[in-house]
Amino acid sequence: MTRSSDHSTPPRLGTYLLKKIYSEELFGEISGDLEEIYQEQVAEKGRFIASCNYLVDAVLSIRNYDLRRRKKITQNNSIAMFKNYFKITLRTISKNKVYSGLNIMGLALGIAAFIFILQYVTYENSYDKFHSNHENTYRVLYKVYRGEDLQIDCAAAVPRVGPFMKEKMPEVEAFARAFPVSGVMSTDNTKFREDRIHIADPDFLNIFDYSVVEGDKNNLLTEPNQVVLTSEMAEKYFGSTDVIGKTITFNSWLKLPLEITGVTENVPNNSHFKYDFLISYETLNNETRQDDGSSNSETAWGWYDFNTYVQLKDGADPKAFDEKFEEVLYEERGEIFEKYNFKAEFPLQPITDIHLYSNLLQESEPEEQGDGDAVFFLSIIAFFILVIAWINYINLSTARAMERAKEVGIRKTMGAYKKQLVYQFLSEALLLNFFALIIGLLIVVLGIRYFNQLTNSLLSTDFLVSTEFWLTAIGVFFAGVALSGLYPAFVLSSFKPVAVLKGKLQGQKAGKGLRRSLVTFQFAASVTLIAGTLIVYQQLQHMNTVDLGFDMTNTLVIKGPQSLESDSIYQTKLQTFKSQMLNIPGVDQITASSNVPGDEIFWTNGIRKWEDPDSQNNTIYIAGIDHDYFPTFDIKMVAGRNYDKSFTTDTGAVILNKAAVKLLGYESPAEAVNQKVRFWNNPKTIIGVVDDYQQMSAKSEVAPIVLPLVKAPSGFFTLSLTTDNYQQVLNQAQQTFTAFFPRDPYDYFFIDEFFNRQYANERTFSRVFTLFAIFGVVVACLGLFGLSSFTALQRTKEIGIRKALGASLRGIVMLLSKEFIILIAISNLIAWPIIYLVMEQWLDNFATRISMPIWVFLFAGAMVMITALITVGYKTFRTAQSNPVKALRYE
Amino acid sequence: MKGTYLGEFEELVLLTVASLANEAYAVVVKKEVEKNADRKVNISAIHSSLYRLEDKGFLSSEFGGATQKRGGKQKRFFKVTSAGFATLQQSKDLKEQLWKNIPQLSFSH
Repeated sequence: MTRSSDHSTPPRLGTYLLKKIYSEELFGEISGDLEEIYQEQVAEKGRFIASCNYLVDAVLSIRNYDLRRRKKITQNNSIAMFKNYFKITLRTISKNKVYSGLNIMGLALGIAAFIFILQYVTYENSYDKFHSNHENTYRVLYKVYRGEDLQIDCAAAVPRVGPFMKEKMPEVEAFARAFPVSGVMSTDNTKFREDRIHIADPDFLNIFDYSVVEGDKNNLLTEPNQVVLTSEMAEKYFGSTDVIGKTITFNSWLKLPLEITGVTENVPNNSHFKYDFLISYETLNNETRQDDGSSNSETAWGWYDFNTYVQLKDGADPKAFDEKFEEVLYEERGEIFEKYNFKAEFPLQPITDIHLYSNLLQESEPEEQGDGDAVFFLSIIAFFILVIAWINYINLSTARAMERAKEVGIRKTMGAYKKQLVYQFLSEALLLNFFALIIGLLIVVLGIRYFNQLTNSLLSTDFLVSTEFWLTAIGVFFAGVALSGLYPAFVLSSFKPVAVLKGKLQGQKAGKGLRRSLVTFQFAASVTLIAGTLIVYQQLQHMNTVDLGFDMTNTLVIKGPQSLESDSIYQTKLQTFKSQMLNIPGVDQITASSNVPGDEIFWTNGIRKWEDPDSQNNTIYIAGIDHDYFPTFDIKMVAGRNYDKSFTTDTGAVILNKAAVKLLGYESPAEAVNQKVRFWNNPKTIIGVVDDYQQMSAKSEVAPIVLPLVKAPSGFFTLSLTTDNYQQVLNQAQQTFTAFFPRDPYDYFFIDEFFNRQYANERTFSRVFTLFAIFGVVVACLGLFGLSSFTALQRTKEIGIRKALGASLRGIVMLLSKEFIILIAISNLIAWPIIYLVMEQWLDNFATRISMPIWVFLFAGAMVMITALITVGYKTFRTAQSNPVKALRYE
Repeated sequence: MKGTYLGEFEELVLLTVASLANEAYAVVVKKEVEKNADRKVNISAIHSSLYRLEDKGFLSSEFGGATQKRGGKQKRFFKVTSAGFATLQQSKDLKEQLWKNIPQLSFSH
């Protein structure tokens, strides 16, 4: 070291800091003071400590940051400036009422659509989340494989599996089964047919949070012949909820007086499982008791009608559970699986997935099942509409740049910083977005009732008090301000004041390319929405009009009696009942059957060719019918003959549908006739094959069905009518029905309505889709209207000159519209492939689907083109029509 | 008057400057305060007080000589102005008055 300690310099970092902290004026003397102290300390305590102290001194000097600094002029002024910005914004709005109105309305519609869809989507996603234990609760599914072939994919499992899981799997905390039944509930004074009755385990009310309002919560459904009902039912039958201890009688295949031990609140709408009555499971056990004391409803492995729910312990992994259970199950059932050449699985399904992501046989509420894909689609649409609205704002603001340019020029000349102009235009966006938000909310609050009617949904305005909603709303609001405000703010604030004030901006094409691509995007989105809507609609039409294989017109169905005395009495009664019904004028034919088309069949059994071994057994659906079923429904025989009263041997015969013939492995229907099958463990001769009529909706494939002749089917009476005067027939039918079955309520429906209810979900979806397609197109057109009027305004002078030189009106309109026509043509080209891919996938969900209708593409394109041309044309036509002198004098 | 209020530390600094006659610049003031008041003071606090007192008109200042020890930077020497002395006097009078008001009793022991 050559330098002496006198010459050591203090750490540079400290000096740098001081330079930042103090103004130039103070820096010299103050850093001198600090350096003096430093040098003294170097001599006394050494360089290291001196350096440290110097740094400490420098850092502590931060407190003197504002010592003798010149105050910035703007500091106290910014609030006043913001006041000015808002004032200017309000003036701009009131000066350009039309454009501001378009802007705000577009944004408001976008926001309203977004909120509607958000609420709809939130509601659809809220199913079953109200159970406090929903994360650990699963439904046990039932899947049967023959080889690789999945033969049964069912939401309801078998009675044994619940208790078996509880015994063998330590992860299971509790299980509950619910077996759906229907029948007539009666008290001394009233009787109604009820469909939402379930025979349930006691733990059902522990696993699920259906709150108990009357009765001892921990002691419900434990004994045979007990029932729990909802408060609505209590009111319906007894006029009050004070019904504990009263008796209600259930009439069905079992006729039982039941003691009411509890009342629960009505089942929330967003529950996948709905009940009105819960009957204790022991009741069913008593009914199915075998000679050895065990009950079929506890031991059966093949009766798959039992909705089974398990609650796992915290942290149990359902995947691992499924794998482990497969082994446990094989130990128990392996022998049977091998013998009959099939395999059953009982995978767990989270209950929160049921509403949107499950479409299995025997869903608890099949008509209500949602479609997760549709909900996802809708979320995307919501987002698109919002983006379209934001794009409008960007387009209109940049298009109006010319008008604001002078203001910007003057502000800049007066000394406005660029930053301040950005703030100004951002605060303008803030204010406009705020107005739009208010109007959007207003639209939602006023329109929610109509939205609910249109979409069959149950939204309420409760969301207005939820924090989550406001967080989303505020998020969307600020995203909107940022996305729609930033670009115009920067474009507008970057104008050169001299150029602007000299009027040289006219030639500049500020943001024209961006504007064009945004318009293209908007219209591509619109075309997609319209075409999508049309295709959905076409598909629904197709399903409604497709040849179902049976006659839906003028067909009345009366629900059969449940309170039967005995089979033999009913059998004789049935014959006279049928002939008396035929006497009613207008009734052409009548048939009694266990099912009608559109009613899900729950009755299944095994069937195989007589000569085949056990391992070839197939599961088949059963619909019990009488001699008149096929003529009444006008179902075609494709081979063989119908049951005939003159053949007494027909009790040993069966009729199949074509799907069943295929299932059994016959080459053709004709070949199947007169073959023997093993059914109900008896040899049965196939005497006829019917066409594949649609038992269930055209959404699914036709299932194999056997239609055996049943002595006295009591499910439904179907009447084909020759008259349109339904009222008279209904009245007379009621008289006859009540005369024969006085203890049963008279309930009827028309088969077309009944059958088409299966499409309710698709119809709702198509309505929602249509509604928002309209929203999207309207918003896009608002934008286009604003944009085209500005283009016209900007070119007023040009048009004036052209007219003065003799251009025709048509020529000018063409000139002004050309740009938009090209843009829309491009957006069509972008939209078509997207529509094709997405809709092709959607259509593939249906068993009978339309082929992709090409005209829809052209139609949607033409529709958007025409709407746009009318929008553009209105303004351009007026401009083109105006007197050229006016146009040339306008400045 | 709002501007003439003297804080405890400011009064200490003002008095120290007064006692130092013509030799008062930040480093010396710091040393004097530390010596007399027997407390550790950071130089930035001294700076803050000196310049604020000058802003209030209690001190005036002029540049003095630079030394090599200071990296060749000038010193700023402070002097108490008449307004400064008046304020000090006022403050002293006030305190004396208050002292007088304390009952003698408590002092007699």
